[in-house]
Amino acid sequence: MIPAKKLLNTINEHWSVLELLFKRFKLADFSLKDVQNILKQKNPSWSSERIYKETNRLLQQEIIIPLAKSSQLEINRAIADFASFLLQEESLGLAEEITVLVKDLERLGNRIAQAGEEADYSELRRFSRIMDERVRKIVKLFEHNESAIMNLVEQAKSDTSTLSLGMRYKAVLEAFDEYIEPMLEMVDIHGPFQRCFDQIELQVSEQIDEIEQLGRGAADKRMLEQLRTRILDMHLIGRESLSRSADLLMPLREELRRNTLITRQASKVLGQIRKRGVDRLLSPVQPEFVSDIQRFNLGQKRHMVAYMASLVEFEHEEYQLPDHDDVPAYQSPNIPDYNSVKTRFQQTGKKRQALLGFLNDSYPDLEADEMLFLYQKLINESDLALSQEQQKSKITIASHTFSLYPFSAKAKQD
Amino acid sequence: MTTINLDMLNELQAINKKLVSGYHISEQDTTLWQELDQQIDSYQALFSALGHDLQHDARGFYYLASDESTPNMGKISRAIALTIYILIEHYANQGKDPLRVLFDESCDLELMQTIVQLNKHLFDQLEIFSGSDLRKDVFLRMVRLGLAREVEQGFMLLAPIYRYIDALMEVNEEQYDIEDEL
Repeated sequence: MIPAKKLLNTINEHWSVLELLFKRFKLADFSLKDVQNILKQKNPSWSSERIYKETNRLLQQEIIIPLAKSSQLEINRAIADFASFLLQEESLGLAEEITVLVKDLERLGNRIAQAGEEADYSELRRFSRIMDERVRKIVKLFEHNESAIMNLVEQAKSDTSTLSLGMRYKAVLEAFDEYIEPMLEMVDIHGPFQRCFDQIELQVSEQIDEIEQLGRGAADKRMLEQLRTRILDMHLIGRESLSRSADLLMPLREELRRNTLITRQASKVLGQIRKRGVDRLLSPVQPEFVSDIQRFNLGQKRHMVAYMASLVEFEHEEYQLPDHDDVPAYQSPNIPDYNSVKTRFQQTGKKRQALLGFLNDSYPDLEADEMLFLYQKLINESDLALSQEQQKSKITIASHTFSLYPFSAKAKQD
Repeated sequence: MTTINLDMLNELQAINKKLVSGYHISEQDTTLWQELDQQIDSYQALFSALGHDLQHDARGFYYLASDESTPNMGKISRAIALTIYILIEHYANQGKDPLRVLFDESCDLELMQTIVQLNKHLFDQLEIFSGSDLRKDVFLRMVRLGLAREVEQGFMLLAPIYRYIDALMEVNEEQYDIEDEL
């Protein structure tokens, strides 16, 4: 048993190789040499030893397996199915597949009814689970087949060979006769599917009613309701899928279609767009338009190129770090030491003196702002006995005139 | 050195206004088309001096070529491309000659609804969900770009559509396979 995670890691790592193997050989066999060649092509830098090792890894994890009694290899069916789902390269299944599953639904419906009658609830649950599984499978088949038909149609439409219409559309005609027509008959409103589904719906509904009446098991009820919805939904999906497929096939079947070079190419491109996305496929070839806006925008490639080119030549101006000598020496504000000013003021304290007048007299060299700084510090000093004048007066210091209510030292109390 | 006599270029203003907005001047714009037809050398010289590339397509239209457009214009262009290719396919399925019908028959709302319905998975990618979306997002824009003209019953496609048909023939499947392999 190979751990799932390990397997997924390998698939992830070698997806490009597996994709190419799948596309190149479809369901045919290939040799060990082919695998190694593709590995080498995808990983040109690998040594042959590494390639040998990786090939062995693919073999050991049964991603590629040897054919019976042969040295040829093939992709593990489970992996191939997964790849075909991912790449939307499905091939058409059989109408009988779906028919068989639907018939089985009928059988399961009867069993559910029986289990309900016998009040065997674990059986009831078991059958409804199986039924649910079958329904999902049928829906999956419908989708699978629709995608397969699209592939067929695209191939036929874009076929460049000069075969007659009948030859070219052989696969398409076959698809129509073998799948679409029988299926359309089945899902027809009076067809066997409808009858079968009606019956199942009735049976399931009866069970739901009964559960409601007995007031038993909400979980069971919900499960049955879901099942009923899913069955109805499946019928709808099937009908829609078939009618879409028929629409695709009809023009080919009627041999109406013209197959000129341009229409072939259009079909091919549309098919590719479906698988790869419109942006990815058309961006490189779509015609471009000039538009007014782009003249004002830096949005276009050539604008960007021009911009980048000018960036290449960009040199920012040399920034000169200042030399030591260039820096002007720091000049401390010309303020004398505050404490000495304070002491000096206190010492003058014999007579009542205007503070600013004192500063002006004692330090005639100071600028006005420096003097005001000292003044402001002194008046906030609690040691000094200061009082504010009642009257506004004008004082001129250092050739600036101020109008203020000046502080003065109080006359000494003693 | 071409001598450009500006006095001779009577329709310069109108032509410039149309061309720089991405419009394709085709034979339906009689005056402008004739003017361009007669003075093509002068106009070409003038526009190339302005940094544009005035192209004359022999199938009957003039446009300014651009190697790249804004992301929004790119999206519009892809929507137009998809619509044209789907139309070709649709006409072919009806047994008509797609190239002839493309230019000879008008596209009405009913046709738009039909092709959106039939190609839901393709139009979904471009957020076009109905016939009227298609009319608004694609056909009216084509009119603005000079790729189509509005007529009583719908829209008639014009010669510049050939740019998309050229693009169609350029799509090369192998190219993408190689891209995938990288």
